[in-house]
Amino acid sequence: MKIVAVTACPSGVAHTYMAAEALEKAAKELGIEIKVETQGSIGLENELTKQDVESADAVIITKDMGIKKVERFKGKPVVKVGVGDAIKKAVPILKKVQAHIESK
Amino acid sequence: MIMSNIINENLIKMELHGDSKEAIIRELAQSIDSEGRLNNFDDYVQEVIDREGLSTTGIGFGVAIPHGKTEAVKTPTVAFGRSKNGLEWESLDGQPVHMIFLLAVPKEAESNTHLKILAALSRKLMNEDFRELLVSAEKKENLMNILEDIFKKALQ
Repeated sequence: MKIVAVTACPSGVAHTYMAAEALEKAAKELGIEIKVETQGSIGLENELTKQDVESADAVIITKDMGIKKVERFKGKPVVKVGVGDAIKKAVPILKKVQAHIESK
Repeated sequence: MIMSNIINENLIKMELHGDSKEAIIRELAQSIDSEGRLNNFDDYVQEVIDREGLSTTGIGFGVAIPHGKTEAVKTPTVAFGRSKNGLEWESLDGQPVHMIFLLAVPKEAESNTHLKILAALSRKLMNEDFRELLVSAEKKENLMNILEDIFKKALQ
């Protein structure tokens, strides 16, 4: 299973990165492959490639801010989560996404 | 910019005494000023408080990261302090703040220096062991080593 994600927050200073870190940690714990792009005030980092998106089973994006280049995810299952939830509930979020993909 | 200088032992306060956001910011800014790293103490403090007014820097997990980028700053600096009692910081998780990182960045600094530091710190703070270390470290030396390491990596 592979998930790609994009995180962003209004100030782009802290929560973008906390959410990315939380998702990466949770994925590691659950044995899920993940790549998280951050769209913070530094700019886009760890940017998802076309190949990353194509090979992903699902996309997670935070919904507090408009995500740039969202058209990349057309045709993919996209899950929108609050950045605060991504920080605090990364494990349950990933588990839910995982269960959803496996049920298909 | 000499990275190893971004923090030193005089910029670490094992126990802050202020009982409000503003008092804490002043207390930490004072330590930055005492190290000769500010051009103007009052202007710097004002900038940090104004920025705080835009959106809280209480990022959760008992941590606040107030910051100011202004001509009032001479040398890029991070000051760190702890408050045993905890402070109201309008944190997003509603919890009191026990660890405060105050950033001072000169206006002409490479534009994203402080952002890189904040990003690296934010990531690191998701690690429970790291937070525990910050709260419980009994020696300044230990805190210094931990923090210096993060800032160095962030600016590589």
